[in-house]
Amino acid sequence: MTSTRSATLFALALLAPALIYILTIVAYPLVDTFILSFTNAALRPDYDWVGWANYQRIFTAGNFTEVIIRTFIWTLLSVGMKMIIGMCGAVLLNAAIPGQALFRILTMPPWVVPMAIGIYMWSWMYNGQFGMISGLLQNFGFISRPVAWLAYGDTAFWATIVTDVWIGVPMVTIYFLAAMQSIPRDLHEAAWTDGAGRFYRFRRITLPLMVPAVLTMSLLSLISTFNSFDIIWILTQGGPSGSTTTMIIDTYKTAIGSRKYGEGAARAVVICIFVLTFCFVYFRAVRKLSQGEAK
Amino acid sequence: MSQLSLKNLQKSFNEAHIIKGINLEVSEGEFVVFVGPSGCGKSTLLRMIAGLEDVSSGEIVIGGNKVNDLPPVQRGIAMVFQSYALYPHMTVFENIAFPLRVERLPQAEVEQRVNAAAKVLQLESRLQQRPGTLSGGQRQRVAIGRAIVRQPKIFLFDEPLSNLDAALRSEMRIELMELHKRLGSTMIYVTHDQVEAMTMADKIVVLDAGTISQVGSPLELYHRPDNLFVAGFIGSPKMNFISGTVIGSDGSTINVDLGALGTIALPRTTKIGAGQQVTLGIRPEHLRLGKGEFSLSVTPKIVEHLGIHTVTYSTLPAGENFVGLYEGDPKVNESEAHDVGFALSQAHLFDQAGLAIY
Repeated sequence: MTSTRSATLFALALLAPALIYILTIVAYPLVDTFILSFTNAALRPDYDWVGWANYQRIFTAGNFTEVIIRTFIWTLLSVGMKMIIGMCGAVLLNAAIPGQALFRILTMPPWVVPMAIGIYMWSWMYNGQFGMISGLLQNFGFISRPVAWLAYGDTAFWATIVTDVWIGVPMVTIYFLAAMQSIPRDLHEAAWTDGAGRFYRFRRITLPLMVPAVLTMSLLSLISTFNSFDIIWILTQGGPSGSTTTMIIDTYKTAIGSRKYGEGAARAVVICIFVLTFCFVYFRAVRKLSQGEAK
Repeated sequence: MSQLSLKNLQKSFNEAHIIKGINLEVSEGEFVVFVGPSGCGKSTLLRMIAGLEDVSSGEIVIGGNKVNDLPPVQRGIAMVFQSYALYPHMTVFENIAFPLRVERLPQAEVEQRVNAAAKVLQLESRLQQRPGTLSGGQRQRVAIGRAIVRQPKIFLFDEPLSNLDAALRSEMRIELMELHKRLGSTMIYVTHDQVEAMTMADKIVVLDAGTISQVGSPLELYHRPDNLFVAGFIGSPKMNFISGTVIGSDGSTINVDLGALGTIALPRTTKIGAGQQVTLGIRPEHLRLGKGEFSLSVTPKIVEHLGIHTVTYSTLPAGENFVGLYEGDPKVNESEAHDVGFALSQAHLFDQAGLAIY
C-alpha cells in the first residue's frame, strides 16, 4: 500500500462518521421522499409508480396554490415583524441605561421556555372565556364581548403570527445586539464630534453597518419560519377552515392525516425546493458579503 | 492670545482620579504635543477637550468661552482618531463630506470643500474608493480631510500615527508638520512617542499619572528637565541615573559622593544639606570615550554597532544600568573595560523628591 493511498483511507476513515450521519439522517430520507412522491403510496403495503401524477394533482386540484401564497404571507409578515421588533429591542438593550443586564436577561424567556409550554400559554391567552387578552381588552373597553381569537380565520392567522414572533424575537434581538456592539465606538464618537445626532448616526452609520447581520438573520429566519410547524399545529391545527394551513401543515395533514404518503411526499418536495432556493440565496449573500468585507 | 485654557481640570471614574488638576494655556496656531507613558491620562485629557468625556471639575475655555457643557460640534474642534474612525460603507468623498452633510450644506459647497481638502491631502484620485481599499497613510489622510473640511479652530489628534509602520510614520509626521504650517491652525497632538513629540511640537506637555510634569519647548525639556520623570522620558536612549550622597554645598558647587565611582563637584547655586540622597543624570550621547571633566571606567556587556552610532550597555558597581552612545564606530568591545568622561555642564542633578537642582 502506498503512503498516498493510506493517507486517503485515513482521511476517509476520519470523515466516515460524518458521512454516515449525513447519508442516513439527511440524504436517505430526502431521496426516499423524492422517490415516494412519484408513487401512490398509502396504507397498503405495496404501491405503484405514478410518474408526475401527484405533482399534477396538487397543482390542479384543491387549493395548494392558495396554501403556498398563505405560507409566503404568513412567513414574510412573521419575519418582517421579528426583524423590526428585534432591531428596536437591540437598540434599547444597547442603550446605556441602568439595569441594562437585567433587561438583557428578561428578553430571553420566550426562547428559553420549552416551545410547547410557551405555545400552550398563548393558547390560553387567546381563549375567549378565560383568556387574558380578551379579558384585558374588555376591561379597557376595546371590545364589548369575549373574543375567541383562535376561532375566526383572520384573528387566528394573526394570533399564530404573534406567537411565532414572540418565540423568534429574542434570538433576533440578541443577534442584532451583538452585531451592533461590534460596530467600533470610534465611528459613533467621530460622527458625534462632527455634530451627528442619535437618529442621524443610527440612519447613516448603525443601519448600513448592520446590513450583513440583517440580511443573514432575515434569510435564516425565513428558512426556519417557512418550516414552522409546532406553533400552528398546537394553536389551530391549521384551522379554522384552513385559514392557518401553511405548506408544512398541509403536507402533514395529507401524508399523516389522510395517509396519502405519495401525495404528501410531492408536497414535501415542493417545500424542499423553496427552502433550497432560500438556502441558495443565503449562501450567495454570505459569499457576497464576505467578498465585500475583503475589499 | 490664548486660544485654549485648561483651568484646574479634573476627571475621575468612580474612585479613580485620572486627571488631577491640569492648568494649561495654548496659544493660537501652536502645535502642542501631549506626551507621556501609557495610562498617564493624555488621551483622556484630549477627549475631555473634544467633549467626548465629561469634566469632573475645572474649566475648559476655548476662544474665551467656557465649553464644559457644550457638545463637541459647538466647541470649534475637529478630532482625528487613532483608529482613523472612517466609515467603511462610505466612499472617501462621503467620509470627508460627512460633517458637511450633517450641517446640511448645499451640494455645491460640499463638493467645493471636499475637493479642496482632497487637493491639500493628495486624495483627488481616491475620492470614489472605499476606505478598505486604501493604505494606512491614505486612510490617515482621509481622517485628516474629514477634520479639515469643518474648518475648526483647533485640531485634536489622538495618536494618529501609531498604527503606521516606521517609514510611513516619519513620512506622515512631515506631512502633518507641513499641513500645520499651511493651515496655521492650533493643533493638539497626543502621542507616547517622544520622537514625534520632539520633532513636531512647538510646545510639549509631559504628563505623568494625570498631572503635568513639565511644559516647554522640545529643547527646553531636553536640556533643562524639571524632574527625574521628564529627564528619563525625553531622550533616547534614556538618561543614565547614578545615585549619590551630598557631601556639602557652598552656593557655587555641590559635592556629591558617587560611592565606588568617586566624588563629583557640580557647579550649582542651590545650597543643599550634607547627607541628602541625590541622583546624578547624564545623557548617553553626552559621554565621550577617554577622560573628561569627570571620568569613570565601564565594561560593556553588550555593544551595538549601528554604523552612525555605537551603543554600549554596562552595569555600574552599585548595579545601575549605564548606556553610552558614541558617534561612528569607535573601538569598544564587549567585556573590555574603557574610560568614559563627560563635561560637568552636561550633568543633571536631582534631589530626593526627583526635582532638578540648578
